[in-house]
Amino acid sequence: MPTGPFPSYKGSVHILVVEDEQKMAKALQEGLEADDYSVRLAHTGEEGFYLIQAQSFDLVILDVMLPGHDGFEILATLRRRNVQTPVLLLTSRDAIEDRVRGLDTGADDYLVKPFAFPELLARTRVLLRRGKPDVSQRLKLADLEMDVPQRSVVRGPHQIDLTAREFDLLEYLFANKGRVVSREMLARDIWKETARQTPIDNVIDAQIVRLRRKLDGQFDRKLLHTVRGVGFVLREEDES
Amino acid sequence: MRLHVRHLRTRLTLWYVAMLAALLILAWGSTCALLFFQLRNQLDRFAIEEIETVEGLFFFTPEGHLEMREDYHNHPQSKDVIDRFVEVRSPEGAVLFRNQRLGARSLGGVPFASEGVGGYSERSAHLSDGTRVRLVSRLHSLDGRRLLIRLAHSEEPLYSGMEDWLAASLLVLPLVLAAAGLAGYALARRALSPIERMARRAQEITPEKLHARLPDDGADDELGQLARVFNDTLARLEQAFDQLRRFTSDASHELRTPLAMIRSVGEVGLQKDGGRAEYRDIVGSMLEEVNRLTSLIDNLLTISRADSGYIQLHRTVVPVMALAREAAGLLEVLMEEKSLRLVLEGDGQAQVAVDRLFLRQALVNILHNAVKYSPPGETISVRVRNGDAGQVIVEIQDNGPGIPLEDQARVFDRFYRVDKARWRESGGAGLGLSIAKWAVEAHGGSIRLESPPNHGCTFRLALG
Repeated sequence: MPTGPFPSYKGSVHILVVEDEQKMAKALQEGLEADDYSVRLAHTGEEGFYLIQAQSFDLVILDVMLPGHDGFEILATLRRRNVQTPVLLLTSRDAIEDRVRGLDTGADDYLVKPFAFPELLARTRVLLRRGKPDVSQRLKLADLEMDVPQRSVVRGPHQIDLTAREFDLLEYLFANKGRVVSREMLARDIWKETARQTPIDNVIDAQIVRLRRKLDGQFDRKLLHTVRGVGFVLREEDES
Repeated sequence: MRLHVRHLRTRLTLWYVAMLAALLILAWGSTCALLFFQLRNQLDRFAIEEIETVEGLFFFTPEGHLEMREDYHNHPQSKDVIDRFVEVRSPEGAVLFRNQRLGARSLGGVPFASEGVGGYSERSAHLSDGTRVRLVSRLHSLDGRRLLIRLAHSEEPLYSGMEDWLAASLLVLPLVLAAAGLAGYALARRALSPIERMARRAQEITPEKLHARLPDDGADDELGQLARVFNDTLARLEQAFDQLRRFTSDASHELRTPLAMIRSVGEVGLQKDGGRAEYRDIVGSMLEEVNRLTSLIDNLLTISRADSGYIQLHRTVVPVMALAREAAGLLEVLMEEKSLRLVLEGDGQAQVAVDRLFLRQALVNILHNAVKYSPPGETISVRVRNGDAGQVIVEIQDNGPGIPLEDQARVFDRFYRVDKARWRESGGAGLGLSIAKWAVEAHGGSIRLESPPNHGCTFRLALG
């Protein structure tokens, strides 16, 4: 954790994490730094507020449950002072009222604890490149090629027939190439399931199994990998 | 509580006494007034009669003085009994005669314009010494001269009688009211004593002693009904508390299972001197349990919100068949993996006003249950039809092993699983059907299970 007033940053994107739980804060910092962000930690709302005033950040990740002034108060004060830095709220309550309150107060997004880390990274990316989505027409990984407008998938010389859902799934994995996507992300973005208690995980697992069969079944080089306990990733080499 | 009852008793008594006092005063006042006016009327009649008598007794002496003959009494002392005041004036107001009893006092003063003309004028007046009198006047002719004869009786005895009575009443009324108050208080106390007993008993009922009930003598009066209503409420509360206790203890057990696994896998993993791949596997395995915990807690939160009535339904008109198709579509890949066949049949037009998300969840949960327990290659059928009274009936039937009769009543219980050993591979915590049941019942619908031996399970939902 940088302690001096002028910490040295690795990356050019600066993220402030306001989180009072030490373990959580450390995990967030390490996870974000592993994704090449510069992270500054604040352990109280006051400290976070001071830091935002003192220097500019590209994103603030703000825990709601903080000692003293809570996340809602900090956020409200920031917005009143016309600080427009994107804010991602972390909350352990997912009552709809809390979400609405968060968004009303001026949060750009919220994430309910416990969340999957890939989800946090995905939301972070979305918030940082807001307004400029990169839509690729032709996607490529090793000998796998995907032509989105033509809705065709080719691996080496072989044409691969995918159902609509499998196609969407693969496109999503391509968009997150090299990064792990969690089941929650797939449930929300591909299956459009908002309720977390549907038995959707079984469905996702089965769908992945089928996609993998078509994609990797007859090839030695596997591209679609399962990261146990976290999710799935599309990449050339299996890291484990 | 008891203080309040006492207050009520006092309030009742006070009301009672106040109303009695008001009624007594009203009755007493009107009686007084009636009596007073009757007596005064009587005085007037006496006066008129006496004017008639007195008229004939006047004569002018040769000197021209007006005199009144008073020698008609058989007994001279009778004269003293007559307490009338007599005054005669000329129409112009000159005093012509005053009787002995009146003496020098003026009776009625200067005549007014029409006094005594064409009949009798009655009025109340004061003598010059302040005596209140009832005065009757009459214009009379004697020897060609016009005389205004005034005759009055004192009203003083009338007033003093009234005053005596008022004094007596003021003395008696508080006594009557006090007696009535005491009687009323005793009555109120008697009437309210069962409530006080109930209150004492109710005070002893705590969450730990919810089995206690109020005394109910079976009487069909208000208090008996109160006791029964209260006891019914207690019974429902007791049931709810029992359910909650069971739920809490079940939930703790369910949470403990994944926790135990996380702990064991972590501890054993630390003892090993494994490589990177092995550690990844250990952490991954722990994360799997974390995911299980997370989804369990999400489900518990849903249930707790449902229990607290916190969830609001947003009803829209939903075509049931389309919703069932959508729910089945979500699970399609699972069915294909097991080569299950899905048959959707029935009324495609049937629709019902429900919260779409919750009904969908119910259908998904029941279908998922059917998929889990169907042997490969079997058929799952969904039938939609219109039932009685505008209801829509949905039947979801599988050809799985069915549910033994002794377990059928409990399939909708939370955490209940027919096959306890199998739940981890099929990934359920035994909450799906209980959530489905809640969702259907929250809409005022009902859900039933039929599972005749060797015929799989049929869940029948009646909606709307």
